[in-house]
Amino acid sequence: MRKRRMALLSGLLFACLVCASPTLAASPLILADDTPPTTMDPAADNSDSTCSVLVNVFDGLLAREGKEGKIVPGLAEKYEHPDALTWKFILRQGVKFHNGNPLTSADVKFSFERLADPKLSKWLETGQAIASIETPDERTIIFKTKNPTPWFISNVHQLFIVSKKDVESRDAGDVGVKPMGTGPYKFVEWIKGSHLKFTANEAYWGGAPKIKQVELKIITEPATRFAALASGSVDLVAGLPLELFEQIQQNPKLEILSRPSRRVIFLALGNKAGTPLADVRVRRAIYLAINEDEIIQKVMQGKASPAAQLADSASTGFNPTLKRLPFDPEKSKALLKEAGYEKGFEITLAGPNDRYVNDAKIAEAAVQYLNKVGIKAKLDVKPKAVFFPEVSSGDKFDFYLLSWLDGAYDSARGISTNLATYNKEKGWGGWNGARFSDPEIDALMDQAAVMVDLAERDKLLQKAHVVIQEKVPLIPLHCGIDLYGLVKDRGVKFTPRPERWLVYKEIEKK
Amino acid sequence: MLGVTFICFVIFRFTGDPSVIIAGQDATPAQVEEVRQAYGLDKPFYIQYVLWLSHAARGDFGRSFISRVPALGLILERLPATVELATTAVLLALSLGVFLGVVVSIRPRRWLSRLIMMSSLAGISTPTFLIGTLLIMVFAVELGILPPFGRGETVLLFHYWPTGFLTLSGLTHLVLPVLTLVGYQLAVLLRLTRAGMREVLGEEYIKTAWAKGLSRKRVVFKHALRNVLIPVVTMSGLMLGEILVFSIVTETIYQWPGMGNLLLTSIYESDQPVIVAYIMLASFIILTINVGVDILYALLNPKIRYD
Repeated sequence: MRKRRMALLSGLLFACLVCASPTLAASPLILADDTPPTTMDPAADNSDSTCSVLVNVFDGLLAREGKEGKIVPGLAEKYEHPDALTWKFILRQGVKFHNGNPLTSADVKFSFERLADPKLSKWLETGQAIASIETPDERTIIFKTKNPTPWFISNVHQLFIVSKKDVESRDAGDVGVKPMGTGPYKFVEWIKGSHLKFTANEAYWGGAPKIKQVELKIITEPATRFAALASGSVDLVAGLPLELFEQIQQNPKLEILSRPSRRVIFLALGNKAGTPLADVRVRRAIYLAINEDEIIQKVMQGKASPAAQLADSASTGFNPTLKRLPFDPEKSKALLKEAGYEKGFEITLAGPNDRYVNDAKIAEAAVQYLNKVGIKAKLDVKPKAVFFPEVSSGDKFDFYLLSWLDGAYDSARGISTNLATYNKEKGWGGWNGARFSDPEIDALMDQAAVMVDLAERDKLLQKAHVVIQEKVPLIPLHCGIDLYGLVKDRGVKFTPRPERWLVYKEIEKK
Repeated sequence: MLGVTFICFVIFRFTGDPSVIIAGQDATPAQVEEVRQAYGLDKPFYIQYVLWLSHAARGDFGRSFISRVPALGLILERLPATVELATTAVLLALSLGVFLGVVVSIRPRRWLSRLIMMSSLAGISTPTFLIGTLLIMVFAVELGILPPFGRGETVLLFHYWPTGFLTLSGLTHLVLPVLTLVGYQLAVLLRLTRAGMREVLGEEYIKTAWAKGLSRKRVVFKHALRNVLIPVVTMSGLMLGEILVFSIVTETIYQWPGMGNLLLTSIYESDQPVIVAYIMLASFIILTINVGVDILYALLNPKIRYD
């Protein structure tokens, strides 16, 4: 018995040594993130959690760099835009896939054609916007879009290029779990629900990355993510839980990095005839009744910045002069009186309860503010898997909480999808769940649809955001903050990116 | 099991249309429609059900809406992790529970017995997520002697089964989740054994055994315990099934790459093919275990025979 106990003890002791031993030189980088990637096939998912992994294994024709997400050359060394419908890319020379095959224009064509297949693709809008793809030689690709597609160029950084030969030689299931691209890191393994491992691509066209081994742990449970950081099992954690912020701040071994999130949280309103919301004064009264500063302080614990429009500062069309309408319950009551709703009316605010940071609590707060000005508001929050299809169906809600983040850094899509009149031909209003409709906003979107010149487009969309504030089809609330935690003594240098991706070649470690 | 499939399908009728989620944020209404057709979600309910059944009969449970790989494969890939966790926990709970139960029943008034009984009450009434979080905070964060999450290094057995039993890191990663799961199981089995033992120890035939002058070991383990084991084995079988299929909380807290973890993610994403395949597999596992337990009865009690 004693012997066995000794064995157990020494075993435990050894385990401690293994866990606590200091990391050696050229140590692997260990990261943790909160949401698992769903697939390793670049066509099959457009979520940030998946792109954040794939950007390390694949390249796009262009890339986005650093803090502000500036567009830089990727696999294409340059591009031209000779007319409204045509985009021409010239590929970099000498780029090779991880299996040694050279990259050619045929691979690019193949990768984009996959995006148009509804059985395969989550990039249908992009894939089906393209009318034809020509490859006059090995290095040249010419895209013709069906209609002028201004956001085409700002989107290609997340459309990753796969190898035609490689994908065709494997079945779809295998392609979905084993990625092979041209990127700075080669894929090693993916144990679902646990981790992914990568190793440096020494032959990378942009130079071999400095960190040779990277492991990405996926930890969905917030408390466990904190434990992973506090115990030093990982170097860097993305998606720090807000509710543990102070605990992390007090821990001398840890450091917090933050960056405003690109995601705008808002309340959407309908204007169907016969409902109180048809009157713009009522919609404005709802806007004025909500104390957003208090929501930021109390619900978001100060970790959010007020939003005045359906765009973040990195997007085309963001209007820097636009401010939120100030909280003013007296004016709100006056407007309601003017509109003939002095005694209020009944309304239900719907929303998800498992999607955005504190989503249900924000909706709850909003309902209480409305009750204070005499509107009899009720709350209807539900899981996103039920809520999203109901929004998209368009006949369930007049008033709901939603959020938008445009991966292509262009605020027009947010407007046309959420606020423009539902229109199947134009592809508008897919998420316009209250079926709000206003001719002036539609007209602006018609103009934006063909305006490709970036400076002109910026001006037009800035104006659109002013018009939207006047018409109140939505009440922008705030942008959250992305939080990251670092273990201090590991010598990790990291700059958070706007879209929350973890790009390993941009991270440094001693 | 046919009934189970039908209920699953009926439930999904009420959880919303997945094509919106499959098509993604930027898809236009027309493209959502296209996706709906591509996945056959536009067909009437009964046709979808019959189609699914005919495929399932051939072992094809469809592809995940989210990761677009076969749903059953996605689950089976996670099976080894869960099986190792569950069997370790149940075996530990069974052996310790029976042992402690016997100790407590022989000397019910000793302070040690009272202590064991008291802690078993705590084991039954403390929720898993609390035990899990506390264990992580104490052993991983404060003391830093055990890893807080994950499964550690694994070794591939027979080209299919990655096992954590054969590496030190795998074993250390197993400690906390097993402790978390064991708490409740141990307490239940202990109490069950004790209750049974106390009843049996008062029986006439035990008195006879004592009177015959048999050794204490023989009386307690051969004559008494064997008769107590039937409900205990039944209970452990049920528990094994339950942990295998529904150890969602523990797997989530420890980020254990098992099936429960997958189920939770799939529910959040409303990945219906995976959920249905999971429920099918779950009912299959539980049925199998129940049959296994029935067979064990015969071994424990020779009076039970299945002809």
